[in-house]
Amino acid sequence: MRLLRSWFLVLPVLMLSAVEASSHHAFSPVYDETQLITVAGMVTQFRFVNPHAMMLMEITDESGQIVKWTVEFAGVLNLSEVGWTADSIKAGELVTVTGNPTHTGSQRMFFRRLARPDGTELLPAGPQRLKAIEEERRQRALRRNQEN
Amino acid sequence: MKCPSRVLMRIMKYGTSLLVFILLVGIPLSTEAQSSRPTLEGMWSDPPATAVGDFCHGWCTDAGLDYLERLLDDPANDARGFRELQAEAAKHQQETYIVPRLTAAALETYPLDPADDPSFLRCEPYGLARQMRVRHQLEIRQRGNDLIEFHYGEWDARRTIYLNGRERPSNQTTLLGHSVAHWDGETLVVETAGIQANRLPFNAEHSDQLRVVERYARSKDDDTLVLTATMEDPWGLREPVVIKRIWRWAPESRIDPYEDCELPTEFTRGVTP
Repeated sequence: MRLLRSWFLVLPVLMLSAVEASSHHAFSPVYDETQLITVAGMVTQFRFVNPHAMMLMEITDESGQIVKWTVEFAGVLNLSEVGWTADSIKAGELVTVTGNPTHTGSQRMFFRRLARPDGTELLPAGPQRLKAIEEERRQRALRRNQEN
Repeated sequence: MKCPSRVLMRIMKYGTSLLVFILLVGIPLSTEAQSSRPTLEGMWSDPPATAVGDFCHGWCTDAGLDYLERLLDDPANDARGFRELQAEAAKHQQETYIVPRLTAAALETYPLDPADDPSFLRCEPYGLARQMRVRHQLEIRQRGNDLIEFHYGEWDARRTIYLNGRERPSNQTTLLGHSVAHWDGETLVVETAGIQANRLPFNAEHSDQLRVVERYARSKDDDTLVLTATMEDPWGLREPVVIKRIWRWAPESRIDPYEDCELPTEFTRGVTP
């Protein structure tokens, strides 16, 4: 599988949501919340543990070499709130993962989104909470406009 | 307790979210409040997915809440995403409420580098000032007549809180300190001292002179638990700092093992959130 490695600037909303993702210890010393990368490859291990779930992947780069990647997630505490279990990701799956890269550019990222070939996706809890909050804001603006 | 007329004016001015928060904070403080559940026992977890709940997910202050309400009520901000407004309110509370309350001694090392956090570097559990407001679960159980146990999802940490006024062993300090509690109506008031010098929730240090008074009260409908914590430290704080934290009643939630903390293999100093 070809390495998909695309760097691009992140929207402010996503940038600002990065801090909330990692609650037990510091996120900023390891990951660059201002950027996202995407890689595609095969899952070799998924550990659904606290404080942070971990996934190992094998990616084939442009030269045909197999490169091992580590994907760090929020913990069981966070992911289970949106229905994740230890079986949410299985070894052998082909997946495309997007996340925040490390400051050093190593083969590691902090998870933001996983897409499967059939089009299904896995997301952390943050986007679902944010959707509800933005709806609350829309209702609030509606009431305000009706009152004025 | 706030003056009713002032509360009403603020409700009219700031809208529903403020009303919700005032209800969460104000009603349980009344000793006249009646409820079907006489204690705080049970499992609490992440707050409701509301603007106020999310802002107070980790910790918040009245200064930050007031500022957030103003941002949310300004039509000019309707096109801005919530995370952007949340970050602006958090910055405001840090700069206008927290920093002015830090002593010169605390300001010498403020803001602390997250890369030096012993919880990050060495997987050391939090001290009380951070543990009491961690995200995710808080399970409260009474053990007999004299003890209450707090069990947190984060770090799988447990606190024993004495209801019988048990005195602190002299000069002994621990990560979570020595806690005694009493009931003020339906509000649980926990007083803690003997806390080892460590980090405050807002990137500053505290000394072993830190004293914390936590007030836990649930909303009238039993669905929300609000912590109002007052921290005093003559070494690090010019005056008391009051923070808040909100949990949601979550009987379906469970605390999973917390035993896979990995030491960092790479990090960069000087990067603040």
